Amino acid sequence: MSLEFLALQVLNGLTFAALLFLVASGFTLVFGVMRIVNLAHGALYLLGGAIGISVAAVTGSWVLGVVAAGISVGLVGLFSERLLLHRVRGRELPEVLLTVGIALVIADLILAVFGGNPRSADPPPPLVGGTPVGPVTYPTYRLFVIGFAVAVGVILFVVQQRTRIGAVLRAGVDDREMVSAMGIDVDRVFAGMFLVGSVLAGTAGMIAAGLLTIRPGADTEILLFALVVVIVGGLGSIGGAALGSVLIGLIDAFSRVWLPELSYFAVFAPMAIILVLRPAGLFGKSTS
Amino acid sequence: MTADRTRMVAIVAALAIAVVAPFVLPTYIVTLLSLVFIAALLASSIDLLAGQGGLLSIGHAGIAASAAYAIAWGTTESLALPIQLGLALLVTLVVSAVYALTTMRTRGIVFLMITLALGIVVYGLALKLSTITGGQNGLTGIDRPEFLANSSAFYLLTVAAFVLAVVFRAVLARSSFGLVLRGIRESESRMSSLGYSVTRAKFLAVMLSGLLAGLAGVLIVWQAEFISPNVASFNRSAMAVVMVILGGTGTLLGPLIGAGVVVGTEHWLSSYVERWPTLLGLVFIAVVLFAPGGVVGAFSRWRHGAVRDRQHAEPGTRAALPSLLEDQGLAGGVDGRPSEPQ
Repeated sequence: MSLEFLALQVLNGLTFAALLFLVASGFTLVFGVMRIVNLAHGALYLLGGAIGISVAAVTGSWVLGVVAAGISVGLVGLFSERLLLHRVRGRELPEVLLTVGIALVIADLILAVFGGNPRSADPPPPLVGGTPVGPVTYPTYRLFVIGFAVAVGVILFVVQQRTRIGAVLRAGVDDREMVSAMGIDVDRVFAGMFLVGSVLAGTAGMIAAGLLTIRPGADTEILLFALVVVIVGGLGSIGGAALGSVLIGLIDAFSRVWLPELSYFAVFAPMAIILVLRPAGLFGKSTS
Repeated sequence: MTADRTRMVAIVAALAIAVVAPFVLPTYIVTLLSLVFIAALLASSIDLLAGQGGLLSIGHAGIAASAAYAIAWGTTESLALPIQLGLALLVTLVVSAVYALTTMRTRGIVFLMITLALGIVVYGLALKLSTITGGQNGLTGIDRPEFLANSSAFYLLTVAAFVLAVVFRAVLARSSFGLVLRGIRESESRMSSLGYSVTRAKFLAVMLSGLLAGLAGVLIVWQAEFISPNVASFNRSAMAVVMVILGGTGTLLGPLIGAGVVVGTEHWLSSYVERWPTLLGLVFIAVVLFAPGGVVGAFSRWRHGAVRDRQHAEPGTRAALPSLLEDQGLAGGVDGRPSEPQ
């Protein structure tokens, strides 16, 4: 096993981890604050990719594609929350079931509008080509994705730990009733949280379009990885999502090379072990 | 007594109609009806957990697909039928045990998330283990056993399997184990302080539900005479849950009604409306928002002439015995009763 091979696989793992973090952080934030398992998160990701690719193709600007993906998917998420999820607030299973319905509708409408062919987006010119990293030359766009995810992670972490909004969110995770008793409009916090989660999903979709293909079925695939990441990391924790993403990303990269037939299983195994040993996840708070 | 007699007559009449159907209806309809009964069987396996234990699985297609792959692989290896069935049973038990072991300490949305992840893992394995599963292309030419080659004979088998599931669930609902599961649904902590092993009860419930799902899997592969990873897909699991919710959780015939609506929409409406999944999704959203008891729940409320306030109904005042076309009062896992404090 050469050093080049090792470096390449680690970078591949980190790139995938970066993408996973973008998807899983929105998923876990929505869960942490609203206790909603948003099974439409994968569909929102796919929608972001589909819209972003089309906007980038029409305008010729990749940046506009990313912005359009984030904004439009954010609006779809906000409307879903205000019009549908809002009506069953606090009832766990109806909330999850509604997101299943929303996922069905979004996935089918994507198929209707954008067709079923796999599509992808070319990265913008400054990010095309390779950059030397230690012993290997690695695609610049992939390095950008890693940097982007780190930046998003730092912003989310600082907002959560150092600002007033973050304090409200953290308090909401611990004790929702008390937060609303303190005179904070929990309704607005929830709507805002769902908006942020959806923007992250949509943006991740367009970012992913430069690495993977955006096609029907990619929504449930990314949803599985997001689920595994947050189950491993602990629901509702940004730090947990980061750690889970890196762990799953690296396992995925190496198992693809060493155990190609079992790569799905290799990702699933740590989840099963952690469920048995620490049901609340590595960073999760025990619910019992 | 008269109500019981009316019910008996209705059951016998319905069974008679179901048995006579293949001899009068065109083959296309008979095939469609087999699909409905198979889908209803898978939905029943999910409703066994959802209705009794309040545990909603969005991964049961994974169990069904595992059994289906066992039969498909056995057929391509030309194993004898009893060996194929034994293999399917073994695979079902092993896969169900994985589901049961990973979920037995969880409830509510965590249960749902883990079953969802497991379902997608089975899909991934079906896709990647191509030496056994044929990968994306799947396995073709999985002929049914000779005595089932006729579509009417196969249809009758699907009816028999569904009736078996209904009887099984009715017996379970009346049994003390059913009572334990409903107790767990209402309050886990109370059941464990009464000395029941909540973990063991959940393990057993998932295993029993897995057996029904495995049976559905065998019928799925015999029906299609072909298998691909699609059988294990998230959409299949989600559709089965849609059937359970549409019909009404905790009802014996709800899964059949839900399956009828979904399969009917898919096969009949799809020739008129291209975007039928959107339509189905919208109907599903409407049911979750406005008719949480599903079709059967709505029917039962209409028959009782008043909207029952389910949220405040005392669990003890509910009907103790299951009936067929009535909300048995076993629902509750998914109709919005507040869960235990976390």
